[in-house]
Amino acid sequence: MIGPFWLSLKIASLATILIILVGFPLALGLARFRFPGKGLLSGLLILPLVLPPTVLGFVLLKLLGRQGWLGHWLEAACGLTIVFHWSGAVVAAAVAAFPLFLLPARGALEGVNPAYEDAARLLGRTELSVLRSITIPLAWRGLVAGSVLAFARALGDFGTTLMVAGNIPGLTQTASLAIFDAVNADDPARAGQLALVVALTSVLAVAITQWSLPRSGRRP
Amino acid sequence: MIDNENCLRVHLDHVVHPGLRLTVEFGLKPEIGVLFGASGAGKSTILRLLTGLNRPDRGSIRLFSTDLFDSARSIDVRLRDRRIGLIFQDDLLFPHLNVAKNITFGIAGWTRTKMMERLGEVVELCGVNHLLDRDPSTLSGGERQRVGLARALAPRPRLLLCDEPVGALDLAARFSLLDRIKRVQRAESIPLLYVTHSTDEAMTLGDRLLLLAEGRIVADGLPLDVLSSRESTGSIKLRNLFEAVIESNDPDDLETTLRLVRGPRLIIPRRSGRVGDPVRLSIDADEIVLARGPVGELSARNLVEGTVERVVTHGHQAEVLVRTDRLVWGIGVVKSAVDSLGLIEGTEVRMIIKSRSCRVIDEEST
Repeated sequence: MIGPFWLSLKIASLATILIILVGFPLALGLARFRFPGKGLLSGLLILPLVLPPTVLGFVLLKLLGRQGWLGHWLEAACGLTIVFHWSGAVVAAAVAAFPLFLLPARGALEGVNPAYEDAARLLGRTELSVLRSITIPLAWRGLVAGSVLAFARALGDFGTTLMVAGNIPGLTQTASLAIFDAVNADDPARAGQLALVVALTSVLAVAITQWSLPRSGRRP
Repeated sequence: MIDNENCLRVHLDHVVHPGLRLTVEFGLKPEIGVLFGASGAGKSTILRLLTGLNRPDRGSIRLFSTDLFDSARSIDVRLRDRRIGLIFQDDLLFPHLNVAKNITFGIAGWTRTKMMERLGEVVELCGVNHLLDRDPSTLSGGERQRVGLARALAPRPRLLLCDEPVGALDLAARFSLLDRIKRVQRAESIPLLYVTHSTDEAMTLGDRLLLLAEGRIVADGLPLDVLSSRESTGSIKLRNLFEAVIESNDPDDLETTLRLVRGPRLIIPRRSGRVGDPVRLSIDADEIVLARGPVGELSARNLVEGTVERVVTHGHQAEVLVRTDRLVWGIGVVKSAVDSLGLIEGTEVRMIIKSRSCRVIDEEST
């Protein structure tokens, strides 16, 4: 039972890190700058929220598979094969959960009065320091909420992961896929145990967030 | 310290919007210069151009021996390297940091000993020693602005800019902050440019007044000189603006009695309105008569007692600031009147104000 759960935890954690690394600069750019095509980009980025997981998985499979342009390039240039590998599950979960980070993060960053950032610059701070000491602390609540939502979504991803990484026990079988298999194999005990552990982990993540936010994310 | 030279030299040519082009040239010594003008005259834009928050179209800014900006030589010193302190109208204290951390924000890179030493100096100067552990949200408006002043001052700026910092404060806090700003400027001996559209603040604070109208500095000199100058006529008139409420208003009466907010009662010609209605009152500084000692029977309806707070004389003119409780009045008199009445700080005087000199004004006309 523990194998698929640990794999899910690993995949969801890595997917969340990936989401933050890509999503934070994007959210900041969307919140702070005006540029041509901004509306189109915003729409594209939240598309995973409205597309059926299998459709999303199919698109990723076409893109990342050996015949896909990105998959082909990755294999040729870096020797990486993403599909039917646990790294494929990370990418699938990250793409599926991405909008759940982006939306609250962008909202929180838009809520930070840029005049505070100007005040910090006038007090001699560099751009990086302004980001670290003003922007992120003031947007903290939204950034944490987005990360937790994305983590919980990545932890429970099923359709997209199945399409991209398959359901290979010990290699790409996450907890959600294992629950599905257990139900199919008429093993309700195993399905129930896994479901309980996954549910408890998600609840724990939300609880930790709720407990830590009032102290670390004060807003005016 | 360079006392006789302009430590700040500014030459700006900047289009704010199609209807307003700023063509501004001035210098500032280690003194308080009040940049005075009507709303929308471009005062705040000038501050933003000086700090580097906005980039001027053309011109140059030189502070002490450093060129901060020069369009001809493509010099544009980064905002964070300009060492200019700015006090904002809405204080902009960082809400997630306590008072001490707000004040030391600009000196966080200093050694701990130096930082604590400087913190001690500025909190003493700004009167915020007792607030260090507090959260900004628990402070009053006046306290917030004093913390903002301490924060701007901590990194030893070479120029201090104030953008209407007392606008949101009540009168008591307003004058307390103005006193504080003046004390700070004297202690630090740096040029200070203070933006306002209030004659009251300009006269209380300014060593010098720069009158901005239609994008240019049209007059530059002692506050009363400028405010009573030909250039200011029409655009600026030296007058007292007060907030008041109607205290009694009998329909059969020819007069209305007002109570000034934190000030005395005044009788004005009858106007419509109910008891308790707020009104704004304007009294031209030249229409108030000053008297010392007993006053006999008068045709004027208002006699208000006060204490001289400050006398500014220049040429044949003088400007007397009189405090009544928590209000400061500006009165324009001739210099010989100051001499014959022996007006100095602390002199008890009576202000004689005709009811017809008290004009109720509408919001739009201010």
